[in-house]
Amino acid sequence: MQNLVLRAKRALWTFKQPLTKKPKLLGAPVSDLFVWRNSDVWRTFFELTDISGLFLGHEETSERFATFFFFDNEGALLCEKRLDLIPNQRQTIDLSLFLSNLKCTFGTFCVFHSYTPKVVSNLGSHIAERSYVSYRYKNAPLRAYVHGNLDAICQLQDMKKQFLGSSSFLPREYRVQHELSGPAHYEIAMVNPSSRHKCISCQLQSTRNGEKIETKKIKLRPGGSYVFQIKLEQPETARIIIGSYLVMARPLVFRSNNNKMDVFHG
Amino acid sequence: MSFYPILKAPDSKGWTTLFNFPPNNWELRDSSEKYINVTWAEDGKWRTENVGKLAFNEVRTFGFDDLPKVIPRGVLPLLSLTLSKLPTHNDILPSLEGIYTVTPAWRATLGVSTEHTSTSYQGEIDPFPAPGSLLTFGPFIQYDHGLENFLILLNIEKSPVTRVAQVEIFDADKIALKAKFEVRNNDATIISLDGLGFSPVDLPLIICREMSAIPLYFSRTSDGNFLSLEHTHPPASYVVHGKRWEAQKILKKLWFSRLGQ
Repeated sequence: MQNLVLRAKRALWTFKQPLTKKPKLLGAPVSDLFVWRNSDVWRTFFELTDISGLFLGHEETSERFATFFFFDNEGALLCEKRLDLIPNQRQTIDLSLFLSNLKCTFGTFCVFHSYTPKVVSNLGSHIAERSYVSYRYKNAPLRAYVHGNLDAICQLQDMKKQFLGSSSFLPREYRVQHELSGPAHYEIAMVNPSSRHKCISCQLQSTRNGEKIETKKIKLRPGGSYVFQIKLEQPETARIIIGSYLVMARPLVFRSNNNKMDVFHG
Repeated sequence: MSFYPILKAPDSKGWTTLFNFPPNNWELRDSSEKYINVTWAEDGKWRTENVGKLAFNEVRTFGFDDLPKVIPRGVLPLLSLTLSKLPTHNDILPSLEGIYTVTPAWRATLGVSTEHTSTSYQGEIDPFPAPGSLLTFGPFIQYDHGLENFLILLNIEKSPVTRVAQVEIFDADKIALKAKFEVRNNDATIISLDGLGFSPVDLPLIICREMSAIPLYFSRTSDGNFLSLEHTHPPASYVVHGKRWEAQKILKKLWFSRLGQ
């Protein structure tokens, strides 16, 4: 009986609430919704590799390309770029080349690969671009890399897209297991990969006494993004709790201090 | 729950921050105080020392210098949080109690620092099956004057008995072997990626036919002013849904066969 109660309680959080949805079209290419930043301070790069080509023998040839779709912070399409894929090589793409003269300084982008090898579609699987984005801060000699995270969006027929982020029946908290420490400027980037508007809160809580320091809220359109700003003085330490109706609301965290920076998934 | 290693990296100090609160509000109702353990492999045994308790909502950071002096220099210390004390000597890696979450996993902050800066990622490690294997494409090498690039292979297995395997680094396009190195189990093996002749368009391919590992890529400026750290995905992450782990097997089989013995 107790087991049944536990299962019923658990079902409130799991029934028809998968981590991500399945694409409606078999073989549809899938991508993360990566965050781009383009300003005097931040530049964004993407490591493009021919994922489909990795599954093919050298004798198998087909024209393969990747299409980048760039969205502003409201989720509106800004532009798209098609790039040829080079088998078994690396292309480090400077995204600022595609993002000049824009009013917004951040948004999202996705990358769809044109070809799904039969060996992949035969498994009922989809090629997914969840590879690596790097960010350059000011004139730092090193870029900070982060891997893609979620299968957030897919491309259907006729250039239509399907958001794959899943919604929760109950409000969820994503409690980032990272201690923010001052003095530093933290920027917490959030993306809405679902097909519905989502309210997202970012609560800052002291790790010294557990007190709530502040809570900021934003409403995001489907495909929209936002960067919460947090400035911590020395010797403040804090943690963040992301509240939303998203099943997985994992933030991307940018930390900068004294011309140094770090970027990581929360 | 998983283990949380204190990383090793060249001319840098590793540190790990533990958190005693669940990463979400729905998978686990847990507000218990927990024992903090450090476990390491020594002389064919797993050794464990208790290094205190972590109250609910508490956060604590450990570097190697914060650990008991009994731990030999050079080993990979594995931190963990448990409801009861772990035995001090084990023939296999202690199983940790069922305090775990999936969406996301209960993680720690794993970082490295110089006197000027630090970098980190949110991570954890569970024992790999032995012998296991590794295949990873790593487009992380950064090129500029004064930059240094390293691959850190992080492995733990249930057995404390030391073994080594060969890791091979290829240019994926030319199928050209660039170098061979030894990788150790239950350790963080550091390999320099500089001087192997890779160019900015080359896609490094790292394989190991007899050991699994988490591949971390660590870059630094030679003065230690800037650091970068990230791990690659397993090949199964190139696809989603369906039999995606089959896709990983197919990819490994294809490339291991292509690269020959």
